[in-house]
Amino acid sequence: MKAVTWFGTLVISEDGEVEECCLLKKDPELLAEHMLTAAGDEYLPVHGLKLRELALDCDFVDLEEEYDVLLREVCISTVKRQISMTDTDDKHIIQAVEAMDDIDKAANELSERLTEWYGIYFPELELTAEPMARFVARFGSRENVPEGHNMFAKASSSMGAELSLVDEDLLRNFATSLCGIYDTRKNLEQYIMNNMGAVAPNVTDIAGAPLGARLISLAGGLEKLAAFPSSTVQVIGASNALFKHLRSRAPSPKHGVIFNHPLIKGSPWWQRGKVARALASKISLAARMDVYGSAHDPSIRENLERKVEAIRKAHPEPPKKLSTKVTQPGPGRAGGRPVKKRGGQKKGGMNKGGKSIGNRSGGRSA
Amino acid sequence: MSIEQLSDGIFEVITDDRKILATRNLYPGHSVYGERLMDVDGVEYRQWDPHRSKLGAMVLKGFDIPIEYDSHVLYLGAASGTTVSHVSDILADGLVYAVEFSPRTMRDLIKLCDQRPNIIPILADANKPRSYAHIVETVDVIFQDVAQPNQAEIAANNSKYFLENDGHLMLSIKSRSIDTVANPKKIFKDEVKKLESDFGVEFEVLQRKELDPFHEDHLGVLARMFVEDED
Ligand SMILES: C[S@@+](CC[C@H](N)C(=O)[O-])C[C@H]1O[C@@H](n2cnc3c(N)ncnc32)[C@H](O)[C@@H]1O
Repeated sequence: MKAVTWFGTLVISEDGEVEECCLLKKDPELLAEHMLTAAGDEYLPVHGLKLRELALDCDFVDLEEEYDVLLREVCISTVKRQISMTDTDDKHIIQAVEAMDDIDKAANELSERLTEWYGIYFPELELTAEPMARFVARFGSRENVPEGHNMFAKASSSMGAELSLVDEDLLRNFATSLCGIYDTRKNLEQYIMNNMGAVAPNVTDIAGAPLGARLISLAGGLEKLAAFPSSTVQVIGASNALFKHLRSRAPSPKHGVIFNHPLIKGSPWWQRGKVARALASKISLAARMDVYGSAHDPSIRENLERKVEAIRKAHPEPPKKLSTKVTQPGPGRAGGRPVKKRGGQKKGGMNKGGKSIGNRSGGRSA
Repeated sequence: MSIEQLSDGIFEVITDDRKILATRNLYPGHSVYGERLMDVDGVEYRQWDPHRSKLGAMVLKGFDIPIEYDSHVLYLGAASGTTVSHVSDILADGLVYAVEFSPRTMRDLIKLCDQRPNIIPILADANKPRSYAHIVETVDVIFQDVAQPNQAEIAANNSKYFLENDGHLMLSIKSRSIDTVANPKKIFKDEVKKLESDFGVEFEVLQRKELDPFHEDHLGVLARMFVEDED
């Protein structure tokens, strides 16, 4: 059996003897480098090995103590590298979220332009946005659409104008740039997915990476998000309505970005306000834990799920009195309709939430 | 103040009015998580808070702790090292492989590793034992505290990989990580049953006790792995 170990690659016989060994140099930095890359190697051992004995057998080290000292040094160095590779700075997340917004705006305008322009030559093409850009970048003139492609029929019978070579070049370049922009957007999304867990493990667990990132960005940072009362977290992203509320005592808005959370989207309209309050309070708690640098604590999510379950059980039916007034319970509007002003708050166990915040910040890392 | 040894490296410091669980401080003068340091006859002991540590609670609940001064231990779910620091104290001549998958938490753990010569940190997911099989040797004891829904499976898979014949598994099962509403007693029963035979490795459960009043809805399990004879 061939096996990669932290000190080299070995060929081990059925009865555990080393048959061949290709040892690495005893340099901690090189060994750490190798340890990092080996973690995904196809020759990782398929069962545990008596690594210490093997290392002595093939004279990588002379003494057990030497094995321990070296392994420890290499592991510490490896972990330090791994940590510095994961980004834990919320500033990067904020930049990524804002860059994504910029991209959306730009991509929208450019794709409208492309649709309008290319429409002159191929009006029957019913694509928009990214599929449109990919199509134009790939084919240019509709004459290049090959037989068998699902647009072939439309392309060969199109009423559109002829496309000159110069224009084709221009449009194709334009579409290619637009495709690049869509690619960048995907990279940014991936970046956020990859890094949110390290920046804010608990917020990510409760809100999900994209929504969590958006909340951090809208709040202006993880610390600011943690400092907001949960009633504010609930309306983050509804700023126009919020300012109006503050200025003119208009009814307080209920639709922050957290209304995109599946727990709220998946709830019937009469439960949404209550679920939103529960969710906002857990996001607040999670943000505070993340600011204190606590590890991921699955109990926040468990508590949230229990609470939502309780809300579902307590309010299985739409409230009677209101149901006559609500003529069109469109999901967006009606969802935020306060059933009673701030009714659920007393029942919902906000106190419990508050208490556990205190507990956690005092008792970190148990 | 006097001292009584409960098992290898685990002590009770006895004062006038109470007994305090403690380990001998491997790095004298330094407290890890704010615990009290106590001098008895010129030796420094660190208080071990059972409310902050499942293993500490297991000691006080009367488990036979299989960790000896020269054991090799695989610790899954090391977090920032509260309990690992005590394991490190116990292992005067042993070694603990501390696996944790959160980079943030690992930052704290690394500080502890810098101070103590017998902790080997590993940033990895305990669901993937193969991803650290090039680092971790077979060990005498596996201790696991990961608060994951598939706790039993993680424990069984790591035992399959890394536990020495006759080695011991110590496991803290948190019922709420598995099901938030079901009755903990039922969950514990199911989990232990799963552990015993569901994952292609068999265990003999030696002791099982709930960890209250130190930890609510937690079960401690001490088990020994059965080895099938291969020849
Ligand atoms: C309850 S805490 C452990 C506390 C620690 N045993 C102590 O007493 O000091 C659980 C830890 O397990 C970690 N964890 C959870 N799932 C894990 C996995 N699959 N692999 C590695 N670590 C994990 C979490 O990040 C968390 O730090």
